[in-house]
Amino acid sequence: MRISEKDVEYVAKLAMLEVADNEKKELADQLSAIVEYVEQLNKLEVSGIEPTAQVVTSVKHAVRDDRVAPRTGSSDAGKTVKLFKVPKVITER
Amino acid sequence: MNLKNLTAEKLVGLYKNGDLTATEVITNVYEEIERSDKDIHAFLALCQQRAIEEARRMDAKIAAGDAVGPLAGVPVAIKDNMVIRDVPTTCGSRILENFVPPYTATVVERLRSAGAIVIGKTNCDEFAMGSSTENSAFFPTRNPHNLQRVPGGSSGGSAASVASGTSVLALGSDTGGSIRTPASFCGVVGMKPTYGRVSRYGLVAFASSLDQIGPFSKSVRESAQVLETICGFDHFDSTSADASVDEFVKNLDQPIKDTRIGVPKEYFIGGLDREVKARIEAGIRLYESLGCDIQEISLPHTEYAIATYYLIATAEASSNLARYDGVRFGIRESGNSSLQEMYRATRHAGFGKEVKRRVLLGTYALSAGYYDAYYLKALKVRTLILRDFQKAFEQVDVILTPTSPTVAFKIGEKTDDPLSMYLSDIFTITCNLAGLPGISVPCGKNSEGLPIGLQLMANHFQEALLLRVAHHFEKAGGFTLTPPTPQLA
Repeated sequence: MRISEKDVEYVAKLAMLEVADNEKKELADQLSAIVEYVEQLNKLEVSGIEPTAQVVTSVKHAVRDDRVAPRTGSSDAGKTVKLFKVPKVITER
Repeated sequence: MNLKNLTAEKLVGLYKNGDLTATEVITNVYEEIERSDKDIHAFLALCQQRAIEEARRMDAKIAAGDAVGPLAGVPVAIKDNMVIRDVPTTCGSRILENFVPPYTATVVERLRSAGAIVIGKTNCDEFAMGSSTENSAFFPTRNPHNLQRVPGGSSGGSAASVASGTSVLALGSDTGGSIRTPASFCGVVGMKPTYGRVSRYGLVAFASSLDQIGPFSKSVRESAQVLETICGFDHFDSTSADASVDEFVKNLDQPIKDTRIGVPKEYFIGGLDREVKARIEAGIRLYESLGCDIQEISLPHTEYAIATYYLIATAEASSNLARYDGVRFGIRESGNSSLQEMYRATRHAGFGKEVKRRVLLGTYALSAGYYDAYYLKALKVRTLILRDFQKAFEQVDVILTPTSPTVAFKIGEKTDDPLSMYLSDIFTITCNLAGLPGISVPCGKNSEGLPIGLQLMANHFQEALLLRVAHHFEKAGGFTLTPPTPQLA
């Protein structure tokens, strides 16, 4: 399927990305080429096939014991970032 | 002293005999980086002061006759997508340019416990997205064998550093071939372990169902030693496998006669370079001469692997990279505008072209109306690819293929055509989709002196077998320790 410049704008909005006007055409062309390539999967009949989201190689998921234990680092996180001040969330229209 | 000719094992032996000190070696490493890295650009950050202090402490321990670890005083380089406390971690991205992590990855902790000395952080494609290290936001890394060529990617800095003798060992991460391809292009050994084998605590996530950390080295024995050091259960990584850790090094010399080696016919078709094909065929004959049982096998869904991979990896990446919003990490743009404008401005300023392209593709594949047609479909085809391997491993013990269809390509050759760059991963990505361990070992050079890599894959958690089969190849073929002589072509 052909990806239009409008599609690029829409997906960029979903992904919280800005796309400059002069980038739109190039991105639409490149994404179209990639999407047309991946559409070769349509040649395969996959009804009834279970999806594999992750190859399970572990008998159980690693879950830590529920007890208090010292952790390093977290109190230092504020050194490098403005923890976690953000601009106004509610703005006037 | 030339580290290009020294393995970790030899180095530790020389320390113990008093023929060399870790301080001399670490000092030499930084002199060598000063001399050669201005051409190769393998490193993004160095930790010289701490490394020299650690070397002095190690020398004192050795002089006092204290017990030291198997990697005592060995210089290692770490790909810049693994965190080390107080050392900047950028992932090759502007968005993390000023990020200094407050904790250290499990793999680095384990290497240090074994005595290894971290010398610096290596360049990579931005967030490990690429096959050439040209997508680094800072500079491309060059191939030590030919400075006009790429080192492969995304862990290109780590591979180039080991090949050029500015480190003895290195860690990389492999999501679709990012360890094995650069190992192949730079003429070193590179291994991707089974999914879940090595803790990813402290590895910056790209595609969580595919990412795995692994070693680079000049010999298979050293990679076995690094894997033995870094693998094993870690309660800080919920995907960490609770599998027993084998003695990989100790078992290397056990015989491999009668090992069944499968050669998939789908890996020897169009696009495979003539000289690469010839070297791989010579490799197959070498295994025959070692008494292995070579069988032709079929992995029929191979042709669908790239399409499957680029849907799954980008979908996972679009989700993983949502955290870079200017709030908790790295740079922030337009701090005074609205929250959403800040997110967008930060991501616009911080992400490079390839990252944006993949986030857009992944978001598209997951978006309403397309989820079933693209993402879910890819997950189902992944099942078919996994089944191909399960069937193959009923018939053979190990699978042998080329690592890459070509030798290292020229810098700039594929940057304008993302799809052609994606296609260069064709032989490595199936391994990640199926969660299997894979290794690339040097298999000679082409007529221009560019290295060629041979890939071996085994079933889940069969690293001991995989390393053994690779080790015998290296020993019989004499492919180790052929240091590059950089030249401008």
